[in-house]
Amino acid sequence: MSPIFQQSATRNPPRARIGMRAGAIATWITLSCFCAAPYCVASNLSIEVFDRNGHSVDQAMVELVPASGSPAPVPKPAVMDQKDKAFTPEVLAVSVGSSVDFPNNDSVSHQVYSFSAAKRFQLPLYKGQLHPPVIFDTPGLVVLGCNIHDSMVGYIYVTAAPFFGTTDAHGVLALKDLPKGDYRITLLSPYITDDASSLTRSVHIEADSTTERFQLKLPLRTRPEPRPRRRDWDY
Amino acid sequence: MRLVLAALWMVLGLGCVRATAQSSFTLDGDLDVRWGHTSGETSFLNGGYGLLRFDPEHDGLVLGRAFLAPTWRITDIVSLHAVIDTYGDHNRNPVDLSECYLDIKPFPSSALRWRAKLGAFYMPISLENRGPGWTDVYSITPSAVNSWIGEEFRTIGAEFEIRWLGASSGYLGDLALVGAVYGWNEPAGSLLAEQGFTLSDRSSTLFGYLSSPPIGFYHEVDRNPGYYAGVSWHHHDRLEIRALHYDNRADPYAQTLSGFYAWHTQFNSAGARFEPGEHWTFIAQALDGSTSTAADEPDEPLFLMRYRAAFALASFEWNKERVTARYDEFHTHQLTDYYGGEAPGNQDGHAWTLAFTYEPSEHWQLLTEWVRARSSFPPRVELDESIIQTQSQFQLAVRYRFDLGS
Repeated sequence: MSPIFQQSATRNPPRARIGMRAGAIATWITLSCFCAAPYCVASNLSIEVFDRNGHSVDQAMVELVPASGSPAPVPKPAVMDQKDKAFTPEVLAVSVGSSVDFPNNDSVSHQVYSFSAAKRFQLPLYKGQLHPPVIFDTPGLVVLGCNIHDSMVGYIYVTAAPFFGTTDAHGVLALKDLPKGDYRITLLSPYITDDASSLTRSVHIEADSTTERFQLKLPLRTRPEPRPRRRDWDY
Repeated sequence: MRLVLAALWMVLGLGCVRATAQSSFTLDGDLDVRWGHTSGETSFLNGGYGLLRFDPEHDGLVLGRAFLAPTWRITDIVSLHAVIDTYGDHNRNPVDLSECYLDIKPFPSSALRWRAKLGAFYMPISLENRGPGWTDVYSITPSAVNSWIGEEFRTIGAEFEIRWLGASSGYLGDLALVGAVYGWNEPAGSLLAEQGFTLSDRSSTLFGYLSSPPIGFYHEVDRNPGYYAGVSWHHHDRLEIRALHYDNRADPYAQTLSGFYAWHTQFNSAGARFEPGEHWTFIAQALDGSTSTAADEPDEPLFLMRYRAAFALASFEWNKERVTARYDEFHTHQLTDYYGGEAPGNQDGHAWTLAFTYEPSEHWQLLTEWVRARSSFPPRVELDESIIQTQSQFQLAVRYRFDLGS
């Protein structure tokens, strides 16, 4: 799972067709804006999540909110795919206001829906990429389902935090070029059962490279939905 | 000859549908060819009191079953399902419907989702028969409980389900309540009274006959609608519990001019399927009930029979293989009058089933199964047989399975 976070202009070098003069002006403006902020030097933050047996926990969503106030979130298009009667990724994190495509690359048709308060929507029966992207404009957890296949459940975390992402297969989320300063880190997952208060903490990021480790105390929750089977009929 | 005809029919059907297959039309199907070796008495399907589908006179290379299961999505929330069957035996209709119904399933706008079925379909009772066409996914032959359901029962009416989608709401699982009103099934119970419980994957079809002498199960006799009500709970992806109360509310004194009798059949069933991990499945189900019908003479008391059956199953699945072991126990007891003969049709029996399945590819499945059934059934004396019989049946099945246009 690749981390998703708000990117500073320094990570988007001017494209080659922009002239040298325009590029220099753009860089100057970017640097000026950057240094006007309370953060002057970037840092890398690595967040690691392990269960009580020391095994890595993937698909956990992590969000970072600067103590000094958040800049407005920048929407970014994302994709929630459907393959082998499952949502891929199972857990997706997007910035509030983002549009999400729901292509169906499965061999069977699906009917995607959500009745979550953060976003209610329905995508009638389809295969391929029939429907336009869905805009997620309210922060919160959106639980996805398929009206044909009850074993399909997916999760979209819609966040107003400027920095966020989900842990990879090694239980790690690496956030790069993070402005140094104080942050509130919160861990969210449909499978983590630890008390919510133990899943949020304040950190001060000063060094060039920092690692924060979340060690869970309670076992992870098993999948609440029925187990998917290839040729299971609804009897 | 029957095998060849069935294969031709299947190929023809495939060809027609492949041309028109699209996302609103899907087609599932199986072609199941078997070789069997059976010992013991003549099967109930061929005029004997044997519990198993085949017997020494009717085994060898046979068509196990061929079915086509088309689904047409008429709108986003309404679809039409049908299962068209052939078993290659002496059914009245060589090709027949075993299910045909409209399924109405709106999108949920809250954690409560309702669903309705209209037509002819299986009641939601079996935890084994979860494959297309109500096939048993753990063995070839279903348990005695679900063999009986397949033989004598089809809901011909309307079923309504309301499901609380707890799994999508942050809770431990889903809870569903289901109820149905139906008719055209008053003869249900007659085969049980005649033969006792069986172990057979030969389900009845809507317009066909089963057993010998033949019985047709789908007739309206008394114009009294029956009902069932049930509850199911999915706990995480591990456990499913189902309970159902069935009562066809038949008038036991009713009969049609064409000779079909109404049987007042009622039962309670409860079962659970536990899947603790990726490999193991455990299923247990029990059923307890009674059936009654009028005696031949008007001044005689009602024929009344109680019955109960249960099974426990353990199955281990790994890679492309699955091994299943099941133990069945079943009893019937006539409380008043004898039905159909001089000896009471009181059955006491048990059976062991061992099955192995292997799926070398997406479309092919190889199955082998051994069933041993031992039962006591006094009416056997009418055939000059011992009351207590032991039968065994070995089957080797090759299945070709497909799904088109999904």
